[in-house]
Amino acid sequence: MTPEKSAPFPRREQRFEREPARRVFAQELRETRYQFKEGTEEKSPTFVLLPTGERCNRVFLVGTMTEKQRQGEQNAFYRARVVDPTGTTFIMAGNYQQEAMLQLAKIETPAFVAIIGKPSIYETPDGTKLISVKAESVTVVDKETRDLWVLDAAAATLNRIDAYGTTPDSKTAQEQYTLDPAQFRSMVYNALTQMNI
Amino acid sequence: MDIPVIAERISQKVQSKGKNPDQAAIEAKLRRLIEEFGVQPAEAERTVMNELAKEFQLTGVVSMPSDLRGLGEVLPGEWVTIEGKVVSLTTPRTPAIGQTGIIADSTGAMQFVIWAKAGAPLLQLGEWYKLESAVVDEFRNVPNVKVHSGTTVSSVTHDQPLLPMITPVQALHPGVGSVRVKMVQEWESSHERMLQTGVVGDESGTLKFTIWREEGEGKEKLLPDIVYNIYYAQVDEYNDRLSLNLNSATIIPDEGDIEVGTGGATFSGALVHISQGSGLVKRCPVEGCNRVLSRQNYCPIHEMQPEFRYDLRIKGVLDDGEKTRNVLMQREVTEQVTGMTLEAAQEMAENNPLGAEEVFYHLCNTVMGRYLICRGREMDQVMLVNQCEPQHLDQTTLAALINRAGGEEA
Repeated sequence: MTPEKSAPFPRREQRFEREPARRVFAQELRETRYQFKEGTEEKSPTFVLLPTGERCNRVFLVGTMTEKQRQGEQNAFYRARVVDPTGTTFIMAGNYQQEAMLQLAKIETPAFVAIIGKPSIYETPDGTKLISVKAESVTVVDKETRDLWVLDAAAATLNRIDAYGTTPDSKTAQEQYTLDPAQFRSMVYNALTQMNI
Repeated sequence: MDIPVIAERISQKVQSKGKNPDQAAIEAKLRRLIEEFGVQPAEAERTVMNELAKEFQLTGVVSMPSDLRGLGEVLPGEWVTIEGKVVSLTTPRTPAIGQTGIIADSTGAMQFVIWAKAGAPLLQLGEWYKLESAVVDEFRNVPNVKVHSGTTVSSVTHDQPLLPMITPVQALHPGVGSVRVKMVQEWESSHERMLQTGVVGDESGTLKFTIWREEGEGKEKLLPDIVYNIYYAQVDEYNDRLSLNLNSATIIPDEGDIEVGTGGATFSGALVHISQGSGLVKRCPVEGCNRVLSRQNYCPIHEMQPEFRYDLRIKGVLDDGEKTRNVLMQREVTEQVTGMTLEAAQEMAENNPLGAEEVFYHLCNTVMGRYLICRGREMDQVMLVNQCEPQHLDQTTLAALINRAGGEEA
């Protein structure tokens, strides 16, 4: 029952490592199905496993917000669609994401937006798995930031594909997904060739 | 070296003076020193010889030439004989210590400590001495040479002038170092005993320096943008960071100029978080405090401070998708990144019902999610950003990525 307490005397301050925000294209995020918890405690972080084989607890997305919608009466929340060169990602901001909700409320579509948020997977009553991103921050950005993100996400995706099968996470991905990561390589290629900079 | 051989040699020396030592006892003493206490054989030989010389009141046997070592090559834990010039004297920390200072030779320099109990004569500044059987020790990662009761201190004469070796800032290590640097930044001192603190740098990088107040003759402050030759400063290490203590140093202004290298690290990524405490903050006006006041202008040390000063800063997280880095941007960098001056921020806060919160939101809206390149120094897991610029698109990166994505298809 008693969990092992390692490092009884933490140095001055515990080294808290913030989870990096992964750069993921909409198409890959939409294929993400597998969610897991690291550790057994209540506050242990939840990760989704990207089909290209990397755990992900936070994402950084830049795209065009094409639609936003306020839903609910008492517990109002916002839903928005953010489009990148490969597809659409659903963004949510509710009471637990007050800041992001206020930011979302002010944005007029269409606009280039940068989103920092946490991905989570839902199962609909008929068993379909959907992924959406709970936004921590939504800001309006310029086209150059969007273009920089496409290059950044392209490089990150290619890095994951290149490391596929060599890391523990990507080995789990091989078990959990039947997708061929090569399809994401052509997705990256298409995204890049569409750019006009 | 073989212990019986040494014992035999000692015994013969004593016999040559017409005395009759107990060779088994000599051997036992040597064994104890060498095997039990890890003393080097040559040193053990000297110690035992010395002891016997005292016991039999012999003269002229102890002065075995032990190897003279350079200060730049001796390591903690070694018993050494060195010859050097006293280049600085400092105030001992406790009465148990008779004298402290810095001794230097042509290979390097090191702090020395003379125990009060050692009964050694106090050394004179600028004189050369030979220290036989001193011990190299370590205190807070900084090596020093200790003069104890077994150390023989003798005055020597040296004609050659001693030239300190100048070390690039990046190549300094804990101990004593000489640098040629320019004073690039003065910080508000955080302690009343502190005369001045700030940053000095040379082409290779920068580091923090401190001058402490001293009783009696006052130390002088460094002047900004002036180049100094700093001889024999103490190089301290704290939290993996080096800093210079200039109290021991000889400081000579230099006419030249130095293009100071930014040193430190560069980190590129998107700004993914801006922490509370960013934006317009109020600082404690008490000299040397400068803490950020909490609500109601409360300083954790100096309590209510209605006469605060305003400042602008960003505490945030930069993220490249693989790693995250905490960054702290002070006023200048913040103004440059956000395009909002401190004055504009103050005005915004005064004319808005949300006050300083409005500045915070404005900051978030202008920099969150932006790609930045930050250059600065890491301190306590935070990068103190001294240069920050936005990333720009680069056609060659795009071309390379297209090749990478399309080129490897079978």
